[in-house]
Amino acid sequence: MAGQTKTKRKGANTSLVFNNRMYFFLIPALAFFLILWIYPVLQLFYYSVTNFNGVNYDYDFVGLKNYAKVLTNGTLVNSMKNTLIYAVVSVVLSNILGLGIAMILNTKIRFKGLFRTCAYFPALFSAIVVGFIWSYVYMPSSGMIASLINLLGGDGSAFNPLGNYNTALIAICLVEVWKGFGTTMIIYLAGLQTVDESLLEAGRIDGCTEWQLFRKIKLPLISSTVTINVILSVIAGLKAFDYSFIMTNGGPGKSTKTLMFQVYETAFTDQKMGRASAFSVLAFAMIILITVIMLAYMNKKEVEL
Amino acid sequence: MKMKKVLALTCAAVMAAGTLVGCGGSADSAADSSAAEESTAASKVEATVATETYDHQAIENAGDITITMMVSGVASENDFETEQLPALIKEKWPNVTLEVTKLPDDNYYTSLKTKLASGECPDIILTQPMYAGQNSCYSLAEAGYLAPLNDMDCIKDRMASLSSVTYNGDVVTATSGVAILGCFYNKDLFAQAGIEGEPQTWDEFLEDCKKLQDAGIQPIVMGDKDQYVLQFGLYQLAADEIYSQNPDYDVQLRSGETSFTDEGTWDKVLEMYKTLYDNKYIDASQSLGYGASQAIQDFADGKAAMTFDGSFNVTPLIANGVDAGYFPIPGTNGVYTATCLAAGYSIYNKSEYVDECKAILDYWLDGESPVWDAYLATGKVIATYGNGADASPNYDLFKPFIDLLNEGKGFYWCNQAWPAGTETEMEALFSEMIGGQGTTVEDITQGMQDKFEDLLDE
Repeated sequence: MAGQTKTKRKGANTSLVFNNRMYFFLIPALAFFLILWIYPVLQLFYYSVTNFNGVNYDYDFVGLKNYAKVLTNGTLVNSMKNTLIYAVVSVVLSNILGLGIAMILNTKIRFKGLFRTCAYFPALFSAIVVGFIWSYVYMPSSGMIASLINLLGGDGSAFNPLGNYNTALIAICLVEVWKGFGTTMIIYLAGLQTVDESLLEAGRIDGCTEWQLFRKIKLPLISSTVTINVILSVIAGLKAFDYSFIMTNGGPGKSTKTLMFQVYETAFTDQKMGRASAFSVLAFAMIILITVIMLAYMNKKEVEL
Repeated sequence: MKMKKVLALTCAAVMAAGTLVGCGGSADSAADSSAAEESTAASKVEATVATETYDHQAIENAGDITITMMVSGVASENDFETEQLPALIKEKWPNVTLEVTKLPDDNYYTSLKTKLASGECPDIILTQPMYAGQNSCYSLAEAGYLAPLNDMDCIKDRMASLSSVTYNGDVVTATSGVAILGCFYNKDLFAQAGIEGEPQTWDEFLEDCKKLQDAGIQPIVMGDKDQYVLQFGLYQLAADEIYSQNPDYDVQLRSGETSFTDEGTWDKVLEMYKTLYDNKYIDASQSLGYGASQAIQDFADGKAAMTFDGSFNVTPLIANGVDAGYFPIPGTNGVYTATCLAAGYSIYNKSEYVDECKAILDYWLDGESPVWDAYLATGKVIATYGNGADASPNYDLFKPFIDLLNEGKGFYWCNQAWPAGTETEMEALFSEMIGGQGTTVEDITQGMQDKFEDLLDE
């Protein structure tokens, strides 16, 4: 037995591919991960049971009071509702748009490279720049769209998507789609290029229509790409913060306050760092839950396709 | 396999240690904090009992030193804080290097908190009166971060006027300016509508709005998409209707003697402001989609006759040469003004150079030094009486407000007395009301009261 162990150890140590000493090389990366990610996350749990205000370190433990407040004062419900609407709209639109454009740009057309670059272009700007630009695009009376409406003989002053309770959330969501569909498109494009041309040719010989080619051959073959794109979009949608912050500051009223925006406001405006931590923990749990359910569902669909 | 187990155990141990360090860190910080409080208490005794003044020679005898300072804002060309101030301090004291960091507001708040938490706070920081903002002098003083400034030359003779930067008897912020909220108006458009003078009563103000509207001129433009601008009008009306009747209203709010829901207080103010939207003197269908800077631009372009704004925005508002006037919105009880002490500068309690910083601030705010002149020339500060006030740019615009202030008819901005977050609730609910969401004035006052109590609840 002792001899066996010795032999095994010797064998492990002499592996040229991955010997035990290689674990030491993990330490720097692991240390960074632990210090900069795991430790702050644990601190978050810790602060969530205190009344820390972000300034005064003479705080007290308050048990689960912060969680109770978040669950009862209505902010979680409102921000969760806004976040889910935001996520659903952005996931659906960015994937339909991304896939549609990827299909077009996967055909043999002229200036394909130029069009691909143009479609990806918005993804290169920072969210702040995009938010500011679109604030002016949406501006009533003299914004870009309002000016176009005026030019066409309409009433541009009536166009006020960010000032209207019913449209503000969708308006900022469209900006997210505009910025994000390029990335989605690139991933779909990569997926579509892996589809074997001979399969499509065989389909055509068997008399498939273009829709049947897409539904029965292309879509099943890029199903893993769809999963990746949908999950990435869902995560991005649930983390929505940038455009609420830049373009509407959560308004009008509370109509564009998302989960992350509410966390920010609780922490930095209300100076309730403890409660914001509790909010983050709950938001974190919800995002994980939704993502896991989505992932399980998408994986099942992948197999069915 | 065994190696993996060892690794997993190591990870777990590191994480557990991390958690303990986390707790320990907080305990340390708490200890630091209480130490700071003790030190503050000690300083208080020193300030009030032992020393009449600080060591004025300390800065000259300090040798080559570097003093750090952090302020909020966006640095411009030949910026006062980041360029002119360090150069002028160097000129006065060649042995002193002043390093100034200027950060946009949100970055400033985050950076300030991080630096305070790590004990690396700059020697001089920008703070706001009472409970205003995340750098409010009261909350920082309560945590023991700010040095008492009672013995400074620019403070010791005027402590009575500095009550909103005085915490437990100690002045903790050096400020020599005031900030005003008022109504900017376009004199040409007023003349076009046949309006001869500035309104002196709320009814006259409404009549003037009507005249402008009848003349086809948009009476008031506001950038309500940036909801904070709602404060610009509401606080003026609060000065007229609430504080003029009960200057201790906010103190009593904290003690529970008054409430936002009291009849004839905030319900009246909100109702009055709502009238402007009901009559389309401010067009909510437009203003809710307009940002603050867009509203300023519209006023500067002469597209609207009035806008409610602060003295801090005077430069862009009159940038296009608009012949502008500035008056406090009159109320039903007369004319009062929402004029408060401006943000100022505090010294970090644990700074190695407290006396040196005091010397710098005294030199800066003495009302006659080259630093003071350069500070005033920025146009962002309006000096209080007796400190070269008439040298403030656009002084003619501001004089009526400062006169009212000196007559005892000036009140601080409401949010300075509230825990941060109360005003955002007020803004959100008011936006809902003018946006047609069925919110009523009663809902707003109740929401403000609930939020106020919630924020005070530890």
